[in-house]
Amino acid sequence: MLLFDILLPGLVLGGMYALIALGLTLQYGVARIMNLSYGESLVAAAFGTLSLYSGLKLSPLLALVLAIPAAALLNWLLYRLLLQRLIRRSKDRGAQEVDSILVTFGVLFVIQGVMLVAFGGQYYSYSYLSIPVTVLGSTLAVNRLVALAFAALIGTAVYLALTRTRLGTAVRAVAVDPNAAQLVGIDVGQLAGLAFAFGGGLVAAGGVLVSMFLTFNASMGVVFTMKALVVVIMGGVGNVMGALVAGLLLGVVETAVARLVDPGLTLAATFALFLAVLLIRPTGLFGKAAS
Amino acid sequence: MTGPSKALAWCIGLAVAAAAITLPLYANGYYLALGISILYFTVLATAWAMFSGPTRYVSLATAAFFGIGAYTAAVTGETLSWPLQLLTAAGVGAVVAAITGLSTLRLSGIYFIIFSFGLAELIRQLVIWYEVNIHKSVGRYLFSDITQEMLYWQLCALTALVFLAGFVLTRSRFGLALRAIGADETAARHSGIDATAVKLGVFIVSAVFMSVTGAIMAPRWTYIDPAIAFNPMISFQVVIMALLGGAGALIGPVLGVIPLVLLFEVLTAALPNHFSIVLGLIFIGIVLALPKGVVGLVDQVWRRERSKVTAVKPLSGGGTLLVAETVGKSFGGLRAVDKVSLDVRAGEILGVIGPNGSGKTTLLNMLSGALVPSDGTIRFDGAVINGMAAHRIARLGLARTFQLVRVMPDLTVAENVATAALFRGSRSSAAQESIHELLVMVGLGDMADSPAGDLTYIDQKRLELARALALHPRLVLLDEWLAGLNPTELETGIALIASLRARGITIVMVEHVMDAIRALCDRCVVMSAGVVIARGTPDEVLADPTVITAYLGEPDA
Repeated sequence: MLLFDILLPGLVLGGMYALIALGLTLQYGVARIMNLSYGESLVAAAFGTLSLYSGLKLSPLLALVLAIPAAALLNWLLYRLLLQRLIRRSKDRGAQEVDSILVTFGVLFVIQGVMLVAFGGQYYSYSYLSIPVTVLGSTLAVNRLVALAFAALIGTAVYLALTRTRLGTAVRAVAVDPNAAQLVGIDVGQLAGLAFAFGGGLVAAGGVLVSMFLTFNASMGVVFTMKALVVVIMGGVGNVMGALVAGLLLGVVETAVARLVDPGLTLAATFALFLAVLLIRPTGLFGKAAS
Repeated sequence: MTGPSKALAWCIGLAVAAAAITLPLYANGYYLALGISILYFTVLATAWAMFSGPTRYVSLATAAFFGIGAYTAAVTGETLSWPLQLLTAAGVGAVVAAITGLSTLRLSGIYFIIFSFGLAELIRQLVIWYEVNIHKSVGRYLFSDITQEMLYWQLCALTALVFLAGFVLTRSRFGLALRAIGADETAARHSGIDATAVKLGVFIVSAVFMSVTGAIMAPRWTYIDPAIAFNPMISFQVVIMALLGGAGALIGPVLGVIPLVLLFEVLTAALPNHFSIVLGLIFIGIVLALPKGVVGLVDQVWRRERSKVTAVKPLSGGGTLLVAETVGKSFGGLRAVDKVSLDVRAGEILGVIGPNGSGKTTLLNMLSGALVPSDGTIRFDGAVINGMAAHRIARLGLARTFQLVRVMPDLTVAENVATAALFRGSRSSAAQESIHELLVMVGLGDMADSPAGDLTYIDQKRLELARALALHPRLVLLDEWLAGLNPTELETGIALIASLRARGITIVMVEHVMDAIRALCDRCVVMSAGVVIARGTPDEVLADPTVITAYLGEPDA
C-alpha cells in the first residue's frame, strides 16, 4: 500500500533525523555552539562503523557502544581546546554564534579532508541484516527496524535524563538562561562542555545507525548538517519534543517527495519546509512566540 | 577607515593596478593563470565583504552565486552573445539573491547563515534534477573564443568595478547604515534605518558581482557540470581570504587574497590530497588569532594615537501630540498592558510610573513600534502608527532610548549619532555639524572619535540620548534613562532633560527615580498590573492611596 510505503520508511528516516537533531539542539541550545561540522562527525562515525564491520567483523551494534563515548570525548576536547576560547572572547551572543560558525566551518573541512584521504570520494555501503520483512503490507529491511528501535531507545533515554534527573534539569536551565543558571549555582562552563560532548555522542550514534541502511560518501556531511539544523529550527531551539515531531515530519515529507515526485528533489523539499517554517513561525513549531 | 590604512590602500591600490593591467604583456601562461586566480578571488572576496563585513551576516553562499553565473554562461553559451550572457548571469544571480534575502534577511542573522550554508548544495541538486529530467544530459560543453588574456582583462575591469562599488557604498549613508545594523540591529531600526531593505539591497549587489565573476570564469573550463560549478570549497576559500585580510575595510580582502592564492598554489602542487585539511587548520588559526584580519591589526595600533573637538546651535518644537486609545498587549495568556489610554500634549513631560512588571516598558515598546499592540490605536500627530515599522515611526519624529543601553560598540561616538541622521534627508556637512552640537549638548563633545564601546555607563546613556535627538524628534521616549546614576550624575541628567523641554521637545519618561519625576513631570500616569490606576500631577498621584497600595501592598499585609 502506497500510504504505508511512504509512512514506514518515512518514520524510520524521521526517527534518525530526530535523534541527530537532538544532539544538535544540545550543542546549539545548551552550549551555544552552532556546529557546522556536525554532519561530518556523523559521516565519520558511519565510516568508523564500516571499517570495524568490514575489517574486524565487529557488529554495528557493538560499534554503537564504542562510538558514543569516543565521539563524546573528541567533542569534549574540541570544546575545551578550541571553542571555549571563543566563548570567553566574544562580547555577546551574536558574536559568539558567528565565531563558532566560522571555526566549525574550518573543522568541517579538516574532518572531510581526512575522510577523503582515507576513503576517497566514492559511495560506500555494507550489508548488515538486510533481510526483508513485511510490515503492514509494505516491505522493509530488518536493519531499518533495528535502527529505528535503537534511535527510539536512545532518544527516550535522553529525554528521561533531561526531564527526570538533577543534571538534566541543570542542562535545561542553562538552555533557558545561562546567566540565571549561574545565579542558582550551576557551573555553566562545565555543563556546556558536557552538553557539547554529549551532543557529539548522539550524532555518532546517528551515524552508526544511518550507516546500516544508507549509502554514504565523504562529502555528504553538509546535507546531514542542513537537515539537523532544519529540524532543530522547526522544532524550536532547545525543545526536545519539538525536535522529535519535526524530525518525523521531515522524514515523512522527504520520503513522500522521493517516492511521488523525484528522489533528486529531497533537499529541495527540506529547504521548502525550512522556508515555510521561517516565514510562518520563525520561533519553530513549538517555540514560544518572540516577545 | 583610518589614516594609515587609507594611505596604504591608495599606494597598494595604484601599484597593484598598474602592474596588474599590464601583466598579460610580459607574463607567461603560468603567471597569467595565477593572475586570473588572484583577480577572481579578489572580486569574490571584496563582494563578500561588502555585505558580510559590516553586517556580520556571514554568507556561506558564494559558491551558489559563482556557480549560478558559470552555469548560466554555459547554458546560454550557444544562443546568446557574450555581453548578453553576462547580463543574464547577473540577472539570475540577482533574482536568487532577492528570493534568499526576502525570505531570510528580515530574521536574525543565524537563519540567514544556515540558509546560505545549504544554498549551493540545494541549487546544485536542482540543476542536476533539471539536467537529468528535462535536458536529459548532465553537464555542458563550452566552446568559446575567449583567450586567457581577454578573460584576464575582463576580470581587471570587474575588479575595478567592485572596488568602485565598495568605495561608493562606504561613502554613502547605506555604508554606515550597514555597519549600524551589524553593531545593533534593534538600535539601528529605532534610528530610522529600514534594516531589511538596506541589507537586501547590498546583498543583491554583492551576489550580482559573484554571478558575473562565475560567468566570466566559465570559458576557463571547456566542460562544466554542476559539481564543478557549485564547488562548496569556493565559499570556504572566499571567507578565509576576506577574514584574513579583514572584512571591515574595502582593501582588507585583497590583503588576504594574495597570500592565500599563492599558498593554495603551493599546496595543490605539494599536498594535493591534504588540501582541505591544511586549509581547515589555517582557517581555524585565522579565526582564533586574527578576529579582525590584518587590516584590523593595523587599525588597532593606529587608533591609540588620536582624538578631537567642535561647536553649538538649537533645535525645534509645537495641541496633543500622541494619543493612545485602549491599547492592549497580550503575551500568550498574559495581559501585559490592558486598555490603556493616554494623551501627551506637545511640550510637556509625561511621567509613566508604576511597580516593576506593571507594563511600562511594554507600553513604551508599543508606542515606539518595537511591539505591535494586540488591540487599540496609537496616533502620533494625527497619524495612526500602531503596526508601523520601527524605522518609519522613528523617521516621523518619535525617538526612544532603551532601558538597557544599546550603543553600537565598534562604531565611534559620532558614527553612532550619525546613524540616526542617515535617513532624515539631512546629509552633508550640515548634518555633521549638528552631530557635534548634539554631542556637546549631552556632554560628549570631546569623545566624538572614541569607539562607543569604550564609554562609561553614564556616557553611553548620554550617547543614546544624542542618537535619539539626531532624529530631530518631536517626542522622545525615555525608558529609565536615569536609572543607575549616582547622585551627581542624576543632577546632570535631570538638568539635561529639562533643557530638552526648553528646546520644545515633548518627553514621555518611564522612571523609578521619584525625585526626577517630581522635578520634571507636568503630569503622571501610574500603571499597575497592565492598567492605569491613577493620573494627575506628580504630587497628586504620589499621595493617592491606590498608588501607595500598588507599590507597597495592603496596609495589613
